[in-house]
Amino acid sequence: MKITLTVNGAAATVQVEPRTHLADLLRGELLLTGTHLGCEHGVCGACTVEVDGAPARSCLMHAGACDGASVCTIEGFGEDAVMAALREGFSAEHALQCGYCTPGMLVVARDIVLRLPDADEARVREELAGNLCRCTGYRGIVRAILGVLAARRGAAT
Amino acid sequence: MTAPEGGGDAARDALSRSPRGVGAPLRRKEDARFLHGRGRYVGDIRPAGTLEVAFLRSPVAHARLLGVQKPANGLVFTAADLTEIAPIRANSALPGFRPSDQPALASGKLRHVGEPIAACVAASRAEAEDLAAACVLDYQALPAIADMLAARAPGSALIHEHWPDNAFLETRRDEDLADLDAIAAAKVRRRLRTARQSMAPLEGRGVLAEWDPRLEQLIVTTAAQMPHVTKTGLAECLGLDEGQVRVVAPDVGGGFGYKGILLPEELVCAALAMRLGRPVRWLEDRLEQLTANANCREHFYDVTAWADAKGKLLGVAVDATVDAGAYSAYPFSACLEAAQIGSIFPGPYVLPRFRFHTVSACTNKPPILPYRGVARTGVCYAMETTLDALARQLGISAQAIRAANLVPPTAMPYRNLVGKVFDSGDYPEALRRAVAAVDVAAVRARQAAGETVGFGLSVFCEQGAHGTSVYHGWGIPFVPGFEQAQARFTPDGVLELRVGLHSHGQGLETTLAQVAHEILGVDPARVRLVHGDTALTPYSTGTWGSRAMVMAGGAVAEACRLLGERALAIGAALLQAPVEGCSLRAGAIHHGEAQVTLDQVARTWFRSPQNLPANVDRGGLDVTAGYRPDPDTGTHSYAAHAVVARVDTETGNVTLEQYVIVEDGGVLVNPMIVDGQVLGGAAQGIGTALYEEMPFDTEAQPLAGTLADYLLPGATEVPDIRIEHMETPSPWTRFGQKGIGESGAIGPPGAIVNAINDALAPLGAEVLDLPATPARVLAALARAGRA
Ligand code: FES
Ligand code: FES
Repeated sequence: MKITLTVNGAAATVQVEPRTHLADLLRGELLLTGTHLGCEHGVCGACTVEVDGAPARSCLMHAGACDGASVCTIEGFGEDAVMAALREGFSAEHALQCGYCTPGMLVVARDIVLRLPDADEARVREELAGNLCRCTGYRGIVRAILGVLAARRGAAT
Repeated sequence: MTAPEGGGDAARDALSRSPRGVGAPLRRKEDARFLHGRGRYVGDIRPAGTLEVAFLRSPVAHARLLGVQKPANGLVFTAADLTEIAPIRANSALPGFRPSDQPALASGKLRHVGEPIAACVAASRAEAEDLAAACVLDYQALPAIADMLAARAPGSALIHEHWPDNAFLETRRDEDLADLDAIAAAKVRRRLRTARQSMAPLEGRGVLAEWDPRLEQLIVTTAAQMPHVTKTGLAECLGLDEGQVRVVAPDVGGGFGYKGILLPEELVCAALAMRLGRPVRWLEDRLEQLTANANCREHFYDVTAWADAKGKLLGVAVDATVDAGAYSAYPFSACLEAAQIGSIFPGPYVLPRFRFHTVSACTNKPPILPYRGVARTGVCYAMETTLDALARQLGISAQAIRAANLVPPTAMPYRNLVGKVFDSGDYPEALRRAVAAVDVAAVRARQAAGETVGFGLSVFCEQGAHGTSVYHGWGIPFVPGFEQAQARFTPDGVLELRVGLHSHGQGLETTLAQVAHEILGVDPARVRLVHGDTALTPYSTGTWGSRAMVMAGGAVAEACRLLGERALAIGAALLQAPVEGCSLRAGAIHHGEAQVTLDQVARTWFRSPQNLPANVDRGGLDVTAGYRPDPDTGTHSYAAHAVVARVDTETGNVTLEQYVIVEDGGVLVNPMIVDGQVLGGAAQGIGTALYEEMPFDTEAQPLAGTLADYLLPGATEVPDIRIEHMETPSPWTRFGQKGIGESGAIGPPGAIVNAINDALAPLGAEVLDLPATPARVLAALARAGRA
């Protein structure tokens, strides 16, 4: 089937098979390999991208169901200020080692920062429950997100 | 330029303390690409014309394979089609070891669920899977060996039929301890089990094989920790010379031991690429990873320990069995883990008498692979829970019994009764600091008020970077020798480092640049690490055994030192000054007020050779150096873990309230990265302690096929761990650094279960088996008659 969607701000018209999931479309057809696959059954969160403004697991979405959708992958956040702050924070807090979970973590982290400006550590951890990292033990990830939240609260007052 | 031979306080005191040198928490050079999705893993690489492989895998654990009926159309290859692949053989020279042949594709027999039987090849993975589904298997089921303790029962089916029983190896140290019964104030016996686990890096394994007809070379791009060892194994099994094989490991999404192994899938993809003249790729999916490759940590211990009234150990006897699975995996072999138990069981303690017997049992499960910490996680669990059982019987504290037995700093370097040599450290101080970091009195007060909360400790040491003298005795397919590194300048003065081991998250691009900065003063931003490609790097056994920073760090330091000497000679000539009057500092050659930068030196060598001195070293600005600590018996980092855990006696649920680690990794090349290693390891250890388990049914069928069944710790399960460092330099390594990469994963099960058992002690309950899931906690309470 033929679908048209927006990926990282650009329109793309692609031919997909009914069984192709969005992650395979992004990685295979569109060569956006920053989106990773860790389980392909919706548990690990490595494949998380933004679909129509909200985080979504691209391994669970059929590509065919994304006709007309707007998708943003780790390659597509450009100069987004929150993403830039998170990247800075992730590096400063050593929130990544092998980097495999990192794109999915960043997409979810950005959503947490935008949606839950008052989140505390417990809440951040709960929100991260759907994203597995096998390398870091999460401390750096949690601290990076809390740091960006605190900085934004500071800037807002 | 200082060039101490290495080690001890002198090496530490000679450090530059530069904010970019050894000891600095420098941010990682590799972060930028990962943060932008520009990492490049095997699965991201797909040359035009690539064919994808799906494996038809064994649905049963033990059977005679009678035939495979292939679909009418499509490319399907069985063992009979790929006779050019010799079986994988990972022998050990330990006396009595029974070799096994692991066929790349099963032939004759099926020995574990998930064993590859046929390679199905198509333009896409989905179509390849369709082909696999269309194959019809003919087999005759045999009784499966699902439990390692039953593996040797008389009359058991034999997995390797020419063996007398299902064991790869037994080792023992005999010592009659019977007299201890009469003199000991306390004696305990515990039977303990750890669960079979999956290392589960977030990226699975994957391989892309290509045949280059021009070079007549096989290029295998694979998620590997040990590319050179993989190359040797590929060449041997495929009958190629090693010049015909190039192994490339791109970014690797976590390893932990899982990616240190020669894979049947690598051999098959390589053979297919050579046959078909097309790139051939296989990417492991999570179902394959969990079911076909659940392959670590499953131990059984029967421990008896005797102590005097003060808690001083009088002797320990341990009978240990490790479920080694069906085959001996290359290169570590099926016996590394069990045989290691004998030599590491004494842990950080002074043990006067010791008897052990170990068995590497052969079962119908995937071959065992060494997971971060290898046997130490199980050993530490067994020793530390046994010590607490002794302490409870004696009525002394967990701290007291450890303090009574730890090797004192005055005894360092210390050689224990089985010949392990501990290099340096103050083990009792680590214990004191860990206990002091937790308010134990508050835990006792809560207990007195009836709360089921407990305090637990574990103390251990980790041998790392052990080399030739240790490994030649194992007689496995590799022996680590002198680690080599190349250092060279490009014409514009960029420093290129080449090492044969590989990073799978450790940040070697950063830490080795820090080492180079320490020696040459070059800006780490102008240092480029080339690794993960056998065509571009000197041979190395790779990244395993917590060895990278000791071995590659030492080799890079030495290569940079020699490169600096050559640059100094050229710089002195350019300054028209005697070499003796010149010095290399901060990336430049200085003579009085005058200086030339290393960039200028490089430019001169490459582009203005007319300005070189007549007696210049003709080797140029390109140096290969080798390094091995002396002695090379390994560094011993050590740690004390302290835990406060609360147990819900209704649900069996365990909550980790506090977690403290006091760690001594010697001189830390990059403390931020070391903390990351410790934290990540500890998270894995928490998984071992509380969550991770691959259950098998009586037919040896794995029962957890998704990450919803096989539980990896998430952000809500791993507490905010506090780390305190001690920094006792190793007397034997270049900067005094110690191997520490595996340490974090060793201590948690012992400390956590000790905390649980401390909480349950008033109820008379005790957890014995890992993981301490709610079901096991409730079962322990039920055994005590309390639930
Ligand atoms: S790959 Fe999609 S959730 Fe794991
Ligand atoms: S950094 Fe490796 S999985 Fe998170």
